[in-house]
Amino acid sequence: MYVLVLFVPLLSAIVSGLFGRKIGTRGSGILTSSCIVISTIISGCIFYETTINSSITYIKLWRWFDSELLTTYFGLQFDSLTATMLIVITGVSALVHIYSTGYMAGDPHIPRFMSYLSLFTFLMIVLVTSDNFVQLFIGWEGVGLCSYLLINFWLTRIKANKAAIKAMLVNRVGDLGLVLAMLMILKQFGALEFSTLYSIAPSGVEVICLLLFLGAVGKSAQLGLHTWLPDAMEGPTPVSALIHAATMVTAGVFLIIRSGPLFENSPLALTVVTIVGALTAFFAATVGVVQNDLKKVIAYSTCSQLGYMIMICGVSNYSTSLFHLMNHAFFKALLFLSAGSVIHAVSDEQDMRKMGGLIKSIPLTYTMILIGSLSLMGFPYLTGFYSKDLILELMYDKYYIAFAYWLGSFSALLTAFYSIRLIYLTFVTNTNSKKEALFAVHESKGNITFTLLLLAFGSIFVGYLAKEITISNIIPPVISNSTKGIPLLFSMFGAISAFIIYSMSSAGFFYFWSSSRAGPNHPLYGSPIHGVYTFLNSAWQFNYIINHYIVSNIFKFGHLITYRIIDRGLLEVIGPRGVSRILINITQNVSNLQSGLVFNYVLIMLVFTTLFISGLYL
Amino acid sequence: MYYEYLTVGIILFILGILGIVLNRSNLIIMLMSIELMLLAISVLFLINSMAIDNLMGQVFTIMILTVAAAESAIGLAILVAYYRIRGTIAIRSLNLLRG
Repeated sequence: MYVLVLFVPLLSAIVSGLFGRKIGTRGSGILTSSCIVISTIISGCIFYETTINSSITYIKLWRWFDSELLTTYFGLQFDSLTATMLIVITGVSALVHIYSTGYMAGDPHIPRFMSYLSLFTFLMIVLVTSDNFVQLFIGWEGVGLCSYLLINFWLTRIKANKAAIKAMLVNRVGDLGLVLAMLMILKQFGALEFSTLYSIAPSGVEVICLLLFLGAVGKSAQLGLHTWLPDAMEGPTPVSALIHAATMVTAGVFLIIRSGPLFENSPLALTVVTIVGALTAFFAATVGVVQNDLKKVIAYSTCSQLGYMIMICGVSNYSTSLFHLMNHAFFKALLFLSAGSVIHAVSDEQDMRKMGGLIKSIPLTYTMILIGSLSLMGFPYLTGFYSKDLILELMYDKYYIAFAYWLGSFSALLTAFYSIRLIYLTFVTNTNSKKEALFAVHESKGNITFTLLLLAFGSIFVGYLAKEITISNIIPPVISNSTKGIPLLFSMFGAISAFIIYSMSSAGFFYFWSSSRAGPNHPLYGSPIHGVYTFLNSAWQFNYIINHYIVSNIFKFGHLITYRIIDRGLLEVIGPRGVSRILINITQNVSNLQSGLVFNYVLIMLVFTTLFISGLYL
Repeated sequence: MYYEYLTVGIILFILGILGIVLNRSNLIIMLMSIELMLLAISVLFLINSMAIDNLMGQVFTIMILTVAAAESAIGLAILVAYYRIRGTIAIRSLNLLRG
């Protein structure tokens, strides 16, 4: 059963990928979905055995690297962390599979799509079930590869190709950190198994932890290496749901949680983790406020929530981080899939400025997004509340890093603001869409709404149901009521202010905020507010800075220095071309000695005979 | 007396060499210079044969004379053949094989 949870998604990926032509569109959809559902059921059983009955399971499959210094088994480890991750991954992945059969209907390459989705799930399962760093790295690279394949699923679009390459390359920066961390662990401790590593109470691991964190930064889209995440929206919506909700971006958080015993020995790394996480949460929340693309808003919200998870890891509350990861997977998958449903309904329009007034035509999707958003905002008694509030309280408890607490709280306000803004612009305000698009709006098919309903149940109840199991070891800090209320008050304030601002702007107040008037004719064009808006809308100009100061310089360096000066210049002159020219010159000179004139030959003969006789052998 | 004879022989030989090296016009002069060199060597052999009282030098001289006669015969024959083809025996025109 334990091996089966890996094997079934692999089987479905292989069958759907290699024999997709034989089993057809419907066949591949049914096959892969049912395989992942089976995997979900199995992981439920694993959860029961390993977490509820608290019996950790280790399975050694076979020897993999077998040398004197390094012996690595291909082994599986099922503890409560793995089991929780498995539930999240397979559960959300199964729903995404079912959703995709409806959402992608009519696409000519469905078997390939389903195969990639299953492969993604399989590699993610490999990542979370491994009992050593090397095997974890297979999954780590594998999900990067699958994200490339999936983002670039519509491979004829140049933007999709660029986004996929960017995702792959930016991830690779982080992967480098993970590889270096692995090498350093091997050098310092001589083992890569988690169980061995954590039983020897490692010390002196500052550099290792920072490198591991670099890996997590790349995969979990923290500040600095986050630029791939919004661009990854070029893929189909179910892919975004899979990448941003349950699987890929959580891998970085998972790595930190898994390496928790290492991080515990490195206060510096923990502080860095907290600060970067808090900054990411704040940064992504501010950017999310002004995005106009429906999916990008949710993407930045993912980035922001990942910041929360990383931040709380930095104060050693790993189980809270895991809890938030699980809750986030449910409501973020719900948000993404509902957004997909909206996009589907309005004839593939993604710009929120061209939507509006959908509340009457697609009330079910509206309800779903509302549930997801309220959960995301940490509305009391919904899933997000249990983890998000706890995170902020625990942050408040660590007085020495109050800065992160206030950044986190302010991000909560902004989160509420952009969630309500999304709902308002999409559903409530007067419509801006075309007449024919508006008339064609319809609720999606059964297999789409079914998955949304399931995820909505998850978004409402998971936090309450799982909190005893996941965070029973956390002692909630004793804080005053007014402090406890701060995140909630902030969220409510953000939500209400968003509602007021946008309803007033649609009613005519703040008319300069109405986004339909953007452009040089806008009354605020060129003013500081416009500058701030542009700054936030372009994500703090990170792409600009990275492109102009790093990427283009590296490109120029690559072309000018390494290619034209070193490769085609220096090495060419020293190497083949120079040597051949010198040799040709010498031989030319030597052969010019044979002038064809007999008396010259005689002279040369005499000279050399004389030298020979006089003993001056050359 | 021995050294004077020796000097004469060597000077003759050097004259023959210079005749070849400095001569840039005529193949016949070159052949004559070669003959001169062979004669100079013969003279040196004879002188040394007399000086050390050994007949081997005179034997060699006769051999050299034979070889010189044969060589000049063949050389002149080549020269004639060459003249038939090219119509000239100037050494400057003998530069078809250049490196």
